[in-house]
Amino acid sequence: MANVTISRGPDESSCRTVSCETGIVLMDVLTGAGVFTESPCGGRGICGKCKVRICPQGDPGSPGTELTEAERSLLKPEEIASGIRLACMTRITGDCLVELPETGKEQRILTDGYLPEFIRDHREGYGIAADIGTTTIAMSLIDLASGKELSTASAVNAQKQYGLDVLSRISFETEHGDNAVHILQKVLVDSCSSLIREVCGSAGVAPDCLKEIVIAANCCMTHMLLGRNATGLGKAPYTPVFTEAQSLPAREIGLKAGPDTVLYCLPQVSAYIGGDIVAGAAVCRLNARTGNVLFIDVGTNGEIVLARNGRLLCCSCAAGPALEGMNISCGMRASEGAVEDVRIGTQAELTTIGGTPPAGLCGSGILAAVRELLKGGYIKKSGAFVALSDQPEPALLRVCGTRREAVLNRSPELVVTQDDVRQVQLAKGAILSGFRVLLREAGIAMEDLDQVIVAGQFGAHLPAESLTGTGILPEELKDRIVYAGNTSRSGACMALLSLEERRNMEALAKEMDYTDLARTADYERIFAGSMKFPAGV
Amino acid sequence: MEKEQLFQKISDNVVEMEDEIVEDLCRQALDEGFDAAETINCGLIPGMDRVGVLYEEGEYFLPEVLTASCALNAGLDILRPHIRKEETGSRIKIVIGVVEGDTHDIGKNLVKIMAESAGIEVIDLGRDVPLNDFIDTAEREHCDIICMSTLMTTTMPGMKQIIDQLKERDLRDKYKVMIGGGPVSQKFADEIGADAYTADAAAAVRKMKELKGRI
Repeated sequence: MANVTISRGPDESSCRTVSCETGIVLMDVLTGAGVFTESPCGGRGICGKCKVRICPQGDPGSPGTELTEAERSLLKPEEIASGIRLACMTRITGDCLVELPETGKEQRILTDGYLPEFIRDHREGYGIAADIGTTTIAMSLIDLASGKELSTASAVNAQKQYGLDVLSRISFETEHGDNAVHILQKVLVDSCSSLIREVCGSAGVAPDCLKEIVIAANCCMTHMLLGRNATGLGKAPYTPVFTEAQSLPAREIGLKAGPDTVLYCLPQVSAYIGGDIVAGAAVCRLNARTGNVLFIDVGTNGEIVLARNGRLLCCSCAAGPALEGMNISCGMRASEGAVEDVRIGTQAELTTIGGTPPAGLCGSGILAAVRELLKGGYIKKSGAFVALSDQPEPALLRVCGTRREAVLNRSPELVVTQDDVRQVQLAKGAILSGFRVLLREAGIAMEDLDQVIVAGQFGAHLPAESLTGTGILPEELKDRIVYAGNTSRSGACMALLSLEERRNMEALAKEMDYTDLARTADYERIFAGSMKFPAGV
Repeated sequence: MEKEQLFQKISDNVVEMEDEIVEDLCRQALDEGFDAAETINCGLIPGMDRVGVLYEEGEYFLPEVLTASCALNAGLDILRPHIRKEETGSRIKIVIGVVEGDTHDIGKNLVKIMAESAGIEVIDLGRDVPLNDFIDTAEREHCDIICMSTLMTTTMPGMKQIIDQLKERDLRDKYKVMIGGGPVSQKFADEIGADAYTADAAAAVRKMKELKGRI
């Protein structure tokens, strides 16, 4: 047996000691102690996000097993020297002190995604694979000969100042015309140039020797990067200026790379299914799979692709900002202090990002809260809170005016209001109705799905039980859910390294059939029906 | 069954969203010789009013209102053909639609349902409605209120254009203008000179009655 002391920061009083068997993986010890560790790759030693520092206590000698290959490649020498290990790769061998990382401001930018086997082209030099999202940009510098990722970097998309979502930025264009198109392009290009400088700098490569930059982005971001007018995307019939892949000299848009660097943008399917989703579909080999596979990219929007024996149907749900903690009374973005998991035992137990005191609920948190409140019998199937006289122990519900709410934390006061539950229902209704429409079109049922692939930023932090607990996916599918991470970026990488894969993606985009949910017969009924919760009273 | 008892049962079953039971009870009302219009006003409408209250209290939400409205409409389908005299008295008349360029209409449909069940006459232009249609229809149909909805920020400017058009045609004072939808706000309503903004369907119906009182 070993005693593992877990420290959340410099404050001694925030330490906890748990005992465990020797040989147990550190990540499991931490999870068992209720400590959430970043794990976009699900503990497979791929992403390097679960860094912790281990110090021996008592007996000298390493408190963890020998450094693994994965750790050697994912950790910097100075990190290893100072005792930093990957929690998923380290097994406990003796008493130790585990220090959880200080967390920076932007917590959850995901750079790693699933990459299948494929044949690389024979090429020399360096290239960049980039995922330009509405909210964040993630880039990887790739050595073209070996296909190895030399460095990664990510940053907030500076277009944010012109609007948090795609529509707001399009509104900016509508209001200010050509000048706005130019401004939006410049701001985005500058963001990308800085990130190129950073990702090249980390690996000691000069930006001007980059051979190619491959971009996977949604339709609006692709338009704006290239300085094309995106106003058509903002109103029915939602017509893009172009959907084909674009190839041009990077200098043409003012990107700071080499004089001969080529810029390649993955193709789009429609205004609301972009290159980022084509990348995801390609990486997951959706058109080559037998059986039925459902793919969902839960990011700022909610794009869904259903593959039925290689035939691809897709749609986009206006899932709304609830999944990002917005429109939620105590909602906040996923950063330090955001509650991301909730358990209701003898009281409501909250897990926050960074382990700091709770400041609000992020998307994962509000979903977890609703999941727990349903499980515990505080919320009815219809989504209404039960009457106070009917609530179980612990008594979390109280009345506020004419409505009921659940108190999760006293100081600071964090509540889940009736409106918050309704916001989750709207988001859930949007996504589930998207699934149902595509399933109906393919002529299959939920149970016929062989696999559900969750990709994207938010999805990586959404445990299967939150998805099934809130009824976004049925319980029966729980074991068929897999996480693919940032498939937009890994798809861009694949397109960078293989011309054949690139051509496949161009063909794939044309094969994906887009369904406009708003124009689907009886959508309203399907949407309303999708709002009901599965469990609860 | 006593008339009041039957009307109460109809009302209860609208609230319980039981369309088949509502249909049966409405047929029963006709068989018993009760007045169709009275059955609607004292049986169906009070039921839907209670649904509105439950919606405001947070107990009911979109799915329940939609299902209850199915029960309401099931009853109306049975009773309407038997209404003997013309409805006299001024009913509030509104024209409603989703502005040009937007195809999201669930919110607008909810307002329509609640307005109709409150006895308001609704002319529904649907979605992606050309801007001029709002005013032209209001003129042709002698409406009291022009109601506009949108879910996208990109189509909100259309609402201002309609108000500007009303001013240009010297019609601004003839109609009340109400707006609503996800990205819409009181601030926006004030900026463009709309008479009212409401955050949800129940508030919208109350506001319509309030505005009509002022006309």
